[in-house]
Amino acid sequence: MSKNNTSIRDFLYEEPGPKTRTWIRIGTGIALVLLAWLIYAVIDRFNVTGQFREKYWIFFTRWTTWRFLGEGLLTTLRVAVTAGAITFALGFLLMRARLNRHTVIWRISAGIISFTRGVPTLLFVYFFFLVFPKTGIKLTGFWKITLPVAISACGVVAEALRSGVNAVPKGQREAALSLGMTERRSFYRVIFPQAFRFVIPTLIAEMVIVLKDTTFAYIVSCADLMQNAKVLISNYDALVSIYLVVAVIYILINYGLNKLSDSLARRGGTMESRRAKA
Amino acid sequence: MSISALWAAYGSEYLQALLTTWKLTFFSFGMAFVLGILITVARVSPIIPLRRFGDFYVQIFRNIPGAALLILLVYAFPKLKLLFPYATCVLIATTLIPSAFCSEYLMSGMNMIEKGQIEAARALGMSFLQMIRRIIIPQALRYSVLPMTNLLVATMLTTALGSTVPMVPRELTGLVSHINTHATGGVTAFVISAAFYCATAVLIGFVGSRIDRKVRILR
Repeated sequence: MSKNNTSIRDFLYEEPGPKTRTWIRIGTGIALVLLAWLIYAVIDRFNVTGQFREKYWIFFTRWTTWRFLGEGLLTTLRVAVTAGAITFALGFLLMRARLNRHTVIWRISAGIISFTRGVPTLLFVYFFFLVFPKTGIKLTGFWKITLPVAISACGVVAEALRSGVNAVPKGQREAALSLGMTERRSFYRVIFPQAFRFVIPTLIAEMVIVLKDTTFAYIVSCADLMQNAKVLISNYDALVSIYLVVAVIYILINYGLNKLSDSLARRGGTMESRRAKA
Repeated sequence: MSISALWAAYGSEYLQALLTTWKLTFFSFGMAFVLGILITVARVSPIIPLRRFGDFYVQIFRNIPGAALLILLVYAFPKLKLLFPYATCVLIATTLIPSAFCSEYLMSGMNMIEKGQIEAARALGMSFLQMIRRIIIPQALRYSVLPMTNLLVATMLTTALGSTVPMVPRELTGLVSHINTHATGGVTAFVISAAFYCATAVLIGFVGSRIDRKVRILR
């Protein structure tokens, strides 16, 4: 995403002459035909396989369907927000440790950060699902998905916070110290508030990744949006329509978060929002 | 189970799984890269419907959760009489999602190029294709080394989706969940897979930052 409103595609071309304009018109025509054909092919595919039949869609007019999906969505959001809070706390601690002067401490922190960044979320999910019960610690489905998602994201958050801290000019710390503040006080009162503002867009973009990762909740049978969709599917025997609607819900939420992140990044104008994990 | 006992029992399967993860990662990344370039070309083309389509494509695959996409491919597509083997479904999912991010990174790489350079190229009498080839593409690629490195790691992490379907051969995550549901691999089984993932990620990161340091454009 660009930092500013203008994109390169707005000034890549000169004002087209009459010949080029004809070519663009022909190209536009061909593209429109191809896209129309694509849309037709999709609709036709749904039609011939009978996916437009009323019984696959009628229950979406019922309020109970939406309430049930809404309950699932609420759980999804609860998992995402809790995981987001935990991952922020963990990320903050890791960032503090990473910036520590003692070699041992920052090395350990750097190790944990690269570990969580290099291991897929699913591996953590399976760990909490398969190994944790054997240790005798009982976790509910909610925590079995929230904890792995939080752990898997904390390394990226730590690095984002660290890049924010590094982006604060050195003079800020020196000025704070010369005013008689302690290192700790200057960090919490002067440096971190500025760093945090820099990285808000990145943190919001990270929430998209957290939200995406919560879809693995069905593995640990936590009743999130995906899991409730499955229940609906077995109730109504309508797989395609329900999964499509659920996918669209996820896409819309993530789209909104990304838009928010971009607009904040533009307004702040300080940092490119980075997405280290897809 | 101790690490040596576990390795004696499942060592070859681990190596097989590592190889599968690598293959899946590099195939997906390669295809995602090509697809990402094509989508980017569409997004900067002067043909408005293509631009809109490219933007739409990117928003869909950037925002859909991997699990949701894979579920659609595995369970919904057969209902539409489009049946693919599990491995193909995983490959499609791990290609489409990174391709959207690839296009985003290329776009932001291109956006780093200043307007003045394009005006200068025009003033020098370069044709449009010359400008694309000599000015835009080289710089966009050089700006996007680090994002692409991250994307390669992200693609590797996405391939763990393969564990949610009975894909043969298993990749690293799928193998661990297999071992732990059939025997008691315990923590060790996870540690081995995690170590393989991390080593790969660190290696990719190392090579990526080496290349980046060589080609980075200093401002």
